[in-house]
Amino acid sequence: MKSSPNKGVLLQYWLSGALGGWGGTSDGKHKASTNAGGSVHGNSRPGAAGGGGGKVGLSGGLTQPAGWQSLLSFSILFLACLAGFSSRLFAVIRFESIIHEFDPWFNYRSTHHLTTNGFYEFLNWFDERAWYPLGRIVGGTVYPGLMVTAGLIHYVLNLLHITVHIRDVCVFLAPVFSGLTAISTFLLTRELWNQGAGLLAACFIAIVPGYISRSVAGSFDNEGIAIFALQFTYYLWVKSVKTGSVFWTIGCCLSYFYMVSAWGGYVFIINLIPLHVFVLLLMQRYSRRVYIAYSTFYIVGLVLSMQIPFVGFQPIRTSEHMAAAGVFALLQAYAFLQYLKDRLTRQEFQTLFFLGVSLAAGMVFLTVIYLTYTGLYVRLLTCYAKIHIPIIASVSEHQPTTWVSFFFDLHILVCTFPAGLWFCIKNINDERVFVALYAISAVYFAGVMVRLMLTLTPVVCMLSAVAFSSVFEHYMGDDTKREKPPEKAEEGLGPNIKSIVTMLMLMLLMMFAVHCTWVTSNAYSSPSVVLASYNHDGTRNILDDFREAYYWLRQNTDEHARVMSWWDYGYQIAGMANRTTLVDNNTWNNSHIALVGKAMSSNESAAYQIMRSLDVDYVLIIFGGVIGYSGDDINKFLWMVRIAEGEHPKDIRESDYFTPQGEFRVDKAGSPTLLNCLMYKMSYYRFGEMQVRRGALTPPGFDRTRNAEIGNKDIKFKHLEEAFTSEHWLVRIYKVKKLDNREPLDHKLRSVVPKQKYTSKKVPLMLGGEFALQVWRDSFRFS
Amino acid sequence: GLNPRVCLFLRLCHISQSPAFDAQLVSANGLVNEEVKRTVDLSTHLAKITAEIVLSNQGHSAVQSFILAVEEDLTPHLAYIGASVKGDEEEDGTLELQQTTIPGQSGHFYKVQLPSSLAAGAQLKAKVEMTFSHVLRPFPTHVTQAERQLVVFQGNHYLYSPYPTRSQTTRVRLASKTVESYTKLGNPSKNDEIIEYGPFRDVAPFSEDTMKIHYENNTPFLTISSITRTIEVSHWGNIAVEETIDLRHTGAVLKGPFSRYDYQRQSDSGISSVKSFKTILPASAQDVYYRDEIGNISTSHLQVLDDSVEVEVRPRFPLFGGWKTHYIIGYNLPSYEYLYTLGDQYALKMRLVDHVYDDQVIDFLTVKIILPEGARNIHVDTPYKIDRMPNQLHYTYLDTFGRPVLVATKNNLVEHHIQDVVVHYNFNKILMLQEPLLVVGAFYILFFTVIIYVRLDFAITKDPAAEVRMKVASITEQVLTLVNKRLGLYRHMDEVVNRYKQSRDTGALNSGRKTLEADHRALTNEISSLQARLKAEGSDLADKVSDVQKLDGQVKELVCRSCQEAERLVAGKVKKEAYIESEKTLTGKRQELVSRIDSLLDAL
Repeated sequence: MKSSPNKGVLLQYWLSGALGGWGGTSDGKHKASTNAGGSVHGNSRPGAAGGGGGKVGLSGGLTQPAGWQSLLSFSILFLACLAGFSSRLFAVIRFESIIHEFDPWFNYRSTHHLTTNGFYEFLNWFDERAWYPLGRIVGGTVYPGLMVTAGLIHYVLNLLHITVHIRDVCVFLAPVFSGLTAISTFLLTRELWNQGAGLLAACFIAIVPGYISRSVAGSFDNEGIAIFALQFTYYLWVKSVKTGSVFWTIGCCLSYFYMVSAWGGYVFIINLIPLHVFVLLLMQRYSRRVYIAYSTFYIVGLVLSMQIPFVGFQPIRTSEHMAAAGVFALLQAYAFLQYLKDRLTRQEFQTLFFLGVSLAAGMVFLTVIYLTYTGLYVRLLTCYAKIHIPIIASVSEHQPTTWVSFFFDLHILVCTFPAGLWFCIKNINDERVFVALYAISAVYFAGVMVRLMLTLTPVVCMLSAVAFSSVFEHYMGDDTKREKPPEKAEEGLGPNIKSIVTMLMLMLLMMFAVHCTWVTSNAYSSPSVVLASYNHDGTRNILDDFREAYYWLRQNTDEHARVMSWWDYGYQIAGMANRTTLVDNNTWNNSHIALVGKAMSSNESAAYQIMRSLDVDYVLIIFGGVIGYSGDDINKFLWMVRIAEGEHPKDIRESDYFTPQGEFRVDKAGSPTLLNCLMYKMSYYRFGEMQVRRGALTPPGFDRTRNAEIGNKDIKFKHLEEAFTSEHWLVRIYKVKKLDNREPLDHKLRSVVPKQKYTSKKVPLMLGGEFALQVWRDSFRFS
Repeated sequence: GLNPRVCLFLRLCHISQSPAFDAQLVSANGLVNEEVKRTVDLSTHLAKITAEIVLSNQGHSAVQSFILAVEEDLTPHLAYIGASVKGDEEEDGTLELQQTTIPGQSGHFYKVQLPSSLAAGAQLKAKVEMTFSHVLRPFPTHVTQAERQLVVFQGNHYLYSPYPTRSQTTRVRLASKTVESYTKLGNPSKNDEIIEYGPFRDVAPFSEDTMKIHYENNTPFLTISSITRTIEVSHWGNIAVEETIDLRHTGAVLKGPFSRYDYQRQSDSGISSVKSFKTILPASAQDVYYRDEIGNISTSHLQVLDDSVEVEVRPRFPLFGGWKTHYIIGYNLPSYEYLYTLGDQYALKMRLVDHVYDDQVIDFLTVKIILPEGARNIHVDTPYKIDRMPNQLHYTYLDTFGRPVLVATKNNLVEHHIQDVVVHYNFNKILMLQEPLLVVGAFYILFFTVIIYVRLDFAITKDPAAEVRMKVASITEQVLTLVNKRLGLYRHMDEVVNRYKQSRDTGALNSGRKTLEADHRALTNEISSLQARLKAEGSDLADKVSDVQKLDGQVKELVCRSCQEAERLVAGKVKKEAYIESEKTLTGKRQELVSRIDSLLDAL
């Protein structure tokens, strides 16, 4: 198959059955390929095997084993793609073709903007509906790869008069790309080991929950396409290192460019590849191939990555890109020394010189890498602001990974992949160095944060596939064939042991498949926009409160109304309700979020001041007390307090919201500050009268989420009024009343004092508010 | 009334299309309204005014037509007007209406053509039906959630007519017993929801006297502010219908907060709000969907009845006064129920507008009918006048030059407008093949491209090693074929020898031997030339081929020897036993050699 390196396209491998080579599971050819850069699939006699054995012409492709093998691998790969695609459709079948969760709604909205207004409008898009009154330069603050991909697919389909709605393109993009990920994983694993392992890896990645969690239908997020780009970039990189061809390296750069455009996780690539090169240098595996590959990759990749507006000059400025630059310099120096080595005669001096330089460079690199990797895990996800700990910490997916979730997401693979790693290290070559580094760094990151489990998943699949493939090779080998070249090592393996081991492995794989399906079905296939509950008789109730409320906002409020809510719901409000929001899931401005948090945690009149200064028309909160929904705003409330306290320590103190015993309680024992803050009042307004049906024993105002009778049942609003509450009270929207002509005075007027005095007192107050807003706005503009 | 009688409709809100001058008719023809029974139905959000008129001709000549009049104030709201004659045998003779004007008089006038002329002194019974939309004004215009909705109707106590009226009664049907106020002309009697005015005697032509009723009306004041109905016809057996609807509650606007608690606990809270309504779809409707911009509206229910499919359309949120919503409802119909064909001629008979909810009001309707690609000579028969827009083109799956789209719009529609439209067009049935052929063609091109790509080398650089390998492979392939052919020659020779042994025909043997020699030489030469080429390519396979050649030489020798042995046997020079013995050894040797050749070939 190495006959024409310029045609590395899959189809060729699949369809050129008659000419195709094969390093299949039963071939055991990997032992021959430990030489660096050598062919892994050691079949270098195209056609001969078929012609000699079968005595048939070229035309009868399927009568040759190679033809069958090509067809088989094609079918397996196709089925893997199909299985991957269809196992991601649980949510679509159970619910509908809908965008899930939070971030996807923003991506969908941007894609919609892209398709309706064109690419340049999208790049220049200033979204005045987000972060009121600041706005957001969307074109310059997103990774546009996702939107452009979906938009392009939509454009091409419409060009062919396939009238698919952009929403459906967005919903099904991630499952389609999971198919491509399977293919690129196959290619990468085949480069690393052999075709059999590649097929296994493709099957694993197609259904492994760790990846499905981010790529179910409707989860229209960067990760969905980024994992494909990641794997494909790595494949091309391995290919470039193996061949030392500029062609493959340019391919790698383009793929890297796509990855940069798609996900902030591209820094993983730009650190892993230099690390690979560095380790190759350390292992004395320097070769011209490495030099060509890395020099080309670094320069072209750097220039390409800087074309993404959001990335801009970061690759030459920020610390996480410095390792790549350092390795580039080191490689040049090393190559220069190599060159000198050929010319110079004074061997001793030269060696000393080399040692000195490489040590110095190595030290520099290690410091850089230390700096990078300590800061990397946060850099991977925050976008373009300073890192503020409460806001990062308040996101559940930024928590450290537990052992359970390793098993939950990877099942048996997490146990077998060290074996694969060991196999790789035992038969080390250039590209296996790469996969070993990939595995080690990914394990580290996945341990730091749940979310980065995603980068670990592909390498786990690949290495587990290597492990399984090796075991199968060993135990499922064709006896009749092996009889001839007698391998005495296998003498001890009787047919019984062979079949038992094989059965055991198959059982494991079967359990893996069952587990994957179960996890996908139960844990990762909920749109979270639509909730479902099941009755005793199995019938399903759909709780569609989110969309009910959002759609009410969309239809029955002023087009330019500004909605204040906690930042979790910002993207959904923008996407579904099409209204202006103050803060959203792009948590770039901590002080703005803190201000909203402060409004939520202050009492009504203080909150009204803030809301007036922010021009808030409606306040939207999530309240789960009626149906027992635990992800509501009261349960998130402490984070709001903490974030507000971070910016306004004088006004908000977290301790005020706890009882003297240090408990967070909503019942009568709760702290008075809590019981009178805006969030509490909005959540429980008129809830005190309500008898939640749960037996007659519960008192009115019984909060099912927190299992407590609320402490403040007499809630009255002065500046707010209830505008809408959804059917199950899940979403409550309040309208912020405009100022009355004149604020009623708290005390009686003294007749001797002329009225003007009071009005004149009020004017500076109002001005003060306006002024504060102005100062506040400016502070954002210039910060 | 989902299946209203077929009446004739007139375009409203426009000055007449044929401004005939009919003043003469009024003054001269001597028509008199002998007895008028008016019913003003205000129980819904529409005002449905029906009048049963006994018309008598007191002039001197027979008349062909009479005139209906609508008051100036109400004309902008007139959605439907229809007249029928109550004959003795025929219940509903619907009549043709034509708009006209009367100089000096305000209002709209419609000339009703009688089926047969009304002779002097004769009488007839006519029934006039008018439906007005948006004439019930909420008053107060804003109510809170707890309050009830009050509306005001302003109309005429009398029948507005160009003819004098001898006797008239007006009966007003309200939505509820609660009435704030009503005009008391002629001391009307009120009984529950009904107010009866009259009888009024000898009312002059064009009499107007304002009737004003302020009463409670909590029926849903739903208005479809716009609806786009798209009908997509496919000749593959399906008609897809999709309606995009903007719905608004046009009753009294909700003032103050909306409290879900009150709404859930008290049954009369928000009594004028709309929680859900029923839409009736055709009985064969399938795959019904109900959604909006943000997805499925999960709160609906579908019920399949014998003669219809009922959808309980529940908007995402209850509609209070002033609130609006927007949704899309769509379904598929089998085309055999609606599409008629004769040769190349097709006729589509569908409802121009369909039921959305009872007593519906549509402010603005757009109908789009998408015909199959290639439909020609399109001709539309509408039941009433609608505004045709320029045709459009629509591109969808597998279209090349686009499907013709008929677009039409109309304002102010009510249930009476649910009627069939007929679209005639021609369609060449050959065009049905276009779509499958396109698919076949696309796949053909795809596979062909793959074949081309795989079979041809597009590399811009040469990889000598790979090329050599390919060349060697092809040469070995040829060698294999030739060697096999050569082995075949030997088998053929064996047959010849066997035959010779029986027939003892030396001639045949000799000729067989000769052909063997010739063929063998040719093949061996060919193989040697291939071997030379292999050598030239620098392949080590050349040695193996030469081994094969050597072995083959031995095989050949053996074959020749067995041939000679056979000759000697025939000639009686050897005993049969000895021959068999030697033949055995020869065959054994041969087999060994052949298997060695085979193993060499395998290694190639």
